[in-house]
Amino acid sequence: MSSPVLEIRDLTVSYQTEQGRLPALRDISLVVPEGEIVGIVGESGCGKSTLISAVIRLLSPNARIDGGSIRFKGDDLLGLAPERMRSLRGDEISTVFQDPMTSLSPVLTIGRQMADVQHRNDISRSARNARSQRMLERVGIPDTDAQLGRYPHQLSGGMLQRVAIAMALMAEPSLLIADEPTTALDATLEVQIIRLLQALQRDVGCSILFVSHHLGVIAELCDAVVVMYAGEVVESGATHDVLRHPRHPYTRRLLECDPARIAERTRVLPVIAGSLPDLGSLPGGCIFRERCLQRFARCAAQRPSLSGGSHRVACHLPEAVA
Amino acid sequence: MTALLEVRDLRVRYPLRGGFVDVVHGVSLDVRRGETVAIVGESGSGKTTLAMALCGLAPVSAGEVRFDGETLAQDRSRQLMPDRKRLALMFQDASGSLSPRMPVRRLLAEPYRIHRVATVDAEHEALRLLSIVGLGEDFADRYPHQLSGGQARRVSLARALALGPDLLIADEPTAGLDVSIQGEVLNLLARVQQETGLGVLIITHNLNIVRHFADDMAIMYLGRFVEQGDSRQIFSDPRHPYTAALLSANPSFDPEAKRGRIELLGEVPSLLHRPRGCEFHTRCPQAREPCTKTFPELTRDAAARVFNCHFPMG
Repeated sequence: MSSPVLEIRDLTVSYQTEQGRLPALRDISLVVPEGEIVGIVGESGCGKSTLISAVIRLLSPNARIDGGSIRFKGDDLLGLAPERMRSLRGDEISTVFQDPMTSLSPVLTIGRQMADVQHRNDISRSARNARSQRMLERVGIPDTDAQLGRYPHQLSGGMLQRVAIAMALMAEPSLLIADEPTTALDATLEVQIIRLLQALQRDVGCSILFVSHHLGVIAELCDAVVVMYAGEVVESGATHDVLRHPRHPYTRRLLECDPARIAERTRVLPVIAGSLPDLGSLPGGCIFRERCLQRFARCAAQRPSLSGGSHRVACHLPEAVA
Repeated sequence: MTALLEVRDLRVRYPLRGGFVDVVHGVSLDVRRGETVAIVGESGSGKTTLAMALCGLAPVSAGEVRFDGETLAQDRSRQLMPDRKRLALMFQDASGSLSPRMPVRRLLAEPYRIHRVATVDAEHEALRLLSIVGLGEDFADRYPHQLSGGQARRVSLARALALGPDLLIADEPTAGLDVSIQGEVLNLLARVQQETGLGVLIITHNLNIVRHFADDMAIMYLGRFVEQGDSRQIFSDPRHPYTAALLSANPSFDPEAKRGRIELLGEVPSLLHRPRGCEFHTRCPQAREPCTKTFPELTRDAAARVFNCHFPMG
């Protein structure tokens, strides 16, 4: 196995709020090997966004890292000086967000914004524009010369997301973090963006951490997948192992609830009964216990740890760890 | 029996500097009582504008909208008021459609106040509506910012159902929701529909929910319907190449689905420069010469399916 680009160990993050300290992430461990695409899947409130913010060290001021480590190519990101972190961001680690319309400035042209992200490259303006155009070509945007003079509102959503990807890849980063980059797009464009990310990943050779709640997209794009629930990793492994043979009851329920996987037409869709536990008063034992149909005495008494070889699961059920 | 909602050749035209743009370009559809009709299509195809026009919130420049046999007044606002009680709209942005300064209790009582329904105890009704959508009484005193996305959707559904409408127009009722909450909202809608015979027009780009819930569907491209008919038939046997591409593009676990995928090239053309001939020919994998020249006439097959294509599939 190749060496990891990103290695997170036992990361624990909490937020200070009026209701007290909320432990948003607890003992998160995951690895993004070089040249691989790793997906993080989980429903709203599972801590996906907090995790990304911790990696790029842009957590909100009321957040605190209570423990664990984040290593990027061997360096401990949590111990880096702010200036060094600033130069890593955008140079070695780039991010693409869900909504390209809000991550691009509406009052500057595409060309100006693409030139601005090259502020570290000591080259002439025309050389910057030429690089911008080459990058736009690479993400499949036609008529690149004209696009540089356009404003974001003049481009469609699919085009803007490609511009955002082109900008993120401009610095040829080692790690691209993509936070729900296809959620705002329609199915035909979603497929185009997945293809594009796959092709670019092959060309540029970067690793990708891909966050989504769309299981179909994860299945098509990712080599490995990490399933999160209420701030913990409940299962991780190779995508085909986890999605074909899910072991954690939450992963299984999530897959069963996906209407895409229900072949017969039905007017009553399955749901996961209950709701997320309150972070302010977390139940002891297994985090999924209260909604789990297979819970037994041990689940309340003891928190299961993430264990196993390449396919890891945090569950006491004998068949889950087998 | 006449349909609850009958739309005939509806157009929405907006003036532009030096011209105009037809965002909805002559669409016709029926929604019957107790029936769910879905409109699918990519962003910018005119789905939301169509929904707004049906509720009198976008200007209708031509065509007709009949609701329960009565033609809806086209110059909106006050004249439409009686109809708004029977025709409810669920907006795409649920949180944005709830006033941030009102607690849920007042948000739910508002429809009664606006329509001067004095005969009910609005306070009591608000709690009843909350229980219908599966939210406890403690939600009555929360403000919209204290609701999650799924809870905000449920409050906006409760409000849409407040006056016991005959027709609900739901614009992306589950966009951005997690799969399990999406199931809750849709199951709830199906239950209300079964109990009250509500007609539902769903606007969405989520094909999975259309496959499970819609009786009829229409596929929209550049403001026109390119195909419409029974949704089960369309899913099993699409006739228009755009429908086929759209249905095959659903990202999935199934390796077979990937193999059968029809990938569309290029971008959706601008409404300002509609392609000549068939408007889909610039992206159509099957386009031939006639497609670039003449607009395909409407074809109606034996099963009452309609589509516009010179060389239909299947």
